[in-house]
Amino acid sequence: MKISFSAEDERFRDEVAGWLADNLRGEFESLRFRGGPGDEHSFPEERKTWERRLAEGGWTGVGWPGAVGGRGLSINQQVIFHEEYARAGGPGRMGHIGEGLAGPTLIAFGSEAQKARFLPGILAGTEYWCQGYSEPGAGSDLANVKTRAERVDGRWRINGQKVWTSLAHESDWCFVIARTEPGSVGHRGLSFLLVPMDQPGIQVRPIEQITGTCEFNEVFFDDAVTDADNIVGAPGDGWKIAMALLGFERGVSTLGQQMQFQNELDQVIAIARDNGQAQDPVMRQRIADAWIGLRIMRYNSLRMLSGPQDGSLSKAAMIYKLYWASWHRDLGKLAMDVLGPEAEILEGAPYDLTRLQSLYLFTRSDTIYGGTNEIQRNIIAERALEMPREPRLG
Amino acid sequence: MDFTFSDDQLAFHDSVKGFLTNEVTPEAIRDLWQRDGGRSDELWGQLAELGLTAMTVPEQYGGLGLDALDFVLLAQECGYAALPEPLVETVMVAVPLLAGLADEHRQLQEHWLSRVASGEARLAVGHPSNPLVADAHIADLLLLCHGDEIHAVPAQQVQLRASESVDPSRRLFAVDWTPSDATRVAGGESGRRLQAEALDHGALACAAQQLGLANRMIDIAVDYSFERKQFGSAVGSFQAVKHLMANVAVKAEFSRAVLYRAAFAAARGQANAAIAASHAKIVATEAALLAARNGIQVHGAMGYTWEVDLHIFMKRAWALDGAWGTRGFHKARVGDFVFADGAPLGAGATFEAR
Ligand SMILES: Cc1cc2nc3c(=O)[nH]c(=O)nc-3n(C[C@H](O)[C@H](O)[C@H](O)COP(=O)(O)OP(=O)(O)OC[C@H]3O[C@@H](n4cnc5c(N)ncnc54)[C@H](O)[C@@H]3O)c2cc1C
Repeated sequence: MKISFSAEDERFRDEVAGWLADNLRGEFESLRFRGGPGDEHSFPEERKTWERRLAEGGWTGVGWPGAVGGRGLSINQQVIFHEEYARAGGPGRMGHIGEGLAGPTLIAFGSEAQKARFLPGILAGTEYWCQGYSEPGAGSDLANVKTRAERVDGRWRINGQKVWTSLAHESDWCFVIARTEPGSVGHRGLSFLLVPMDQPGIQVRPIEQITGTCEFNEVFFDDAVTDADNIVGAPGDGWKIAMALLGFERGVSTLGQQMQFQNELDQVIAIARDNGQAQDPVMRQRIADAWIGLRIMRYNSLRMLSGPQDGSLSKAAMIYKLYWASWHRDLGKLAMDVLGPEAEILEGAPYDLTRLQSLYLFTRSDTIYGGTNEIQRNIIAERALEMPREPRLG
Repeated sequence: MDFTFSDDQLAFHDSVKGFLTNEVTPEAIRDLWQRDGGRSDELWGQLAELGLTAMTVPEQYGGLGLDALDFVLLAQECGYAALPEPLVETVMVAVPLLAGLADEHRQLQEHWLSRVASGEARLAVGHPSNPLVADAHIADLLLLCHGDEIHAVPAQQVQLRASESVDPSRRLFAVDWTPSDATRVAGGESGRRLQAEALDHGALACAAQQLGLANRMIDIAVDYSFERKQFGSAVGSFQAVKHLMANVAVKAEFSRAVLYRAAFAAARGQANAAIAASHAKIVATEAALLAARNGIQVHGAMGYTWEVDLHIFMKRAWALDGAWGTRGFHKARVGDFVFADGAPLGAGATFEAR
């Protein structure tokens, strides 16, 4: 055990902080602390430009191996990067679905040709991705996917509908789980396809959220096509790959997320100091609880990431989504309670939410996307504790 | 000991519930959101016609002379419907405040209360526990607190600055006005007492609506749990989903008696009305907030959309949470009560009126 950073790590910290100070300014100044949870719809173009700036500085794919063009940072240095990024108020990453999900999946399962084709665009901040899993009939029951893909004239032809697709309207590519084996049901017969968004066969319709803004969409596939090569793994491997991808969600990207949480908590604490709520013993305890919970997440992530990658820490990984989602939901409520009677008053018209109001509303969804709390508890009980399975969960 | 309502109270409740179910639908509410001012004179006229605006106006001024206990079931239904019109605050807070002024203000009372009863005039209340004044834009007379004093200020003498609320049904305003001898209707001891009573009444009004909101969100989520199928079954068949709603039902059901007890204390002017109101606001709000949270959860991503009606109710519960004293404020009051010297706490004091 060694819980500290080396001198070299600290030099690296200076490098990151210095780069951010030099670059997160001027045209990017207004992006500071923007684009986070509940604010993802803000400044998409500016944030894409920022992604390219990051790329020029070599700050995209910091955890990806050097062999595929990543920076190949150690876990310690990744931690430092995320800390400094958050401290500087680095904007929510437009590229996070590509960098955190699509990229690692391709690195693990993609062909050499696919890696050569797709990874550079992610790293350069020139190609953006969205996640085409959920469908009207396939939410928690993801294996109930009905979208079909068939091989016609050397291409995949895709028909069906996805829903809740975050940032589809800002994306160049979508990774789609589709049924490629006609007549198959459940986990079998699914494939993982890479589909270009800009084509006549795809229609994106925004869905308005309770925030009054639109971050997610319905995506309709009507004879949409993609090249025959744009399948990751073999036909029928879709489920395995889709699940592995969800594992990446609990990987290093959680570090950046926690730093974001820290910024939000800091804001809540600052308000409490300012408006006197910090004198209220109940509020003090709730804020202390929030701090305790955040540190629990942080230590556990660091333990998971720095520990043996042999699956011995997989219980901690399974618990993570439930823990952070519930913690974040409570933080949203805490923020509102700290604001007191002012909490309901908007920034302006029409329906212009304050950042903390957006946070509150957005955190209502944390316990839903990426596997609901109920599903997470089933997973913990059945996989981590190996309790008897639910009758219907095949 | 009898917690039941009279046949008259129940019959009136049924007819009002029927009216609200038909007229104040989620579609109608969304319609109002689009309108300037967000209010409907026609709807207010209908509410007046039903006798609702006259409920707590004394008989001598053309009202029905009823009290909080007669109105509490109706207030709950207004919550259930998420009625945007400020009926509950009018009946439970504004009218009692105006009616509670000293006798020297009979003329003022007569002038305004008779018009409120008939639906011709509307009131709004500015109280220090609320940073802004709700529905000031449709008020003909504003009852505004200033230090210990209360002022009755005609709409012509105020300037309004609108603010939006997270609940698009709520209309909030900062009110610029100048207190004067001519507008002052209470001060000193009686001003403080009236302000304190207004707070208790406001808390009770919120509590009743919160319970209605909780019940509405339960109903919406339970309905959805039948409709939505995953893994080949209605999601409501999953134990985890059942438990989400059962937990809300326990809170909602158990806040009911607390609410009615508080309405009783208010109606009888009991000395413990303040604590009873705080108690009711706390538990009913907790029920509504849990209903909102778990209601969304049962809906999955659907519950996070503007299109699904759930958020109409969820946002009202959120807004009322902070109105007329936060939970923290009311809990502190209960704490002060419990720790006061000689507090009536022991067996036998459950329903003591002190
Ligand atoms: C903000 C947001 C962004 C999203 N972004 C994306 C995206 O980019 N791409 C994408 O593919 N999807 C996305 N989603 C969809 C998300 O993954 C789904 O919402 C999630 O999987 C839950 O599915 P559902 O909404 O259909 O809920 P349902 O599955 O219909 O669940 C309804 C309720 O039933 C419960 N339930 C269901 N099955 C069981 C069971 N077996 N046992 C116990 N309880 C059960 C659930 O826990 C929930 O309470 C997003 C969702 C949100 C809210």
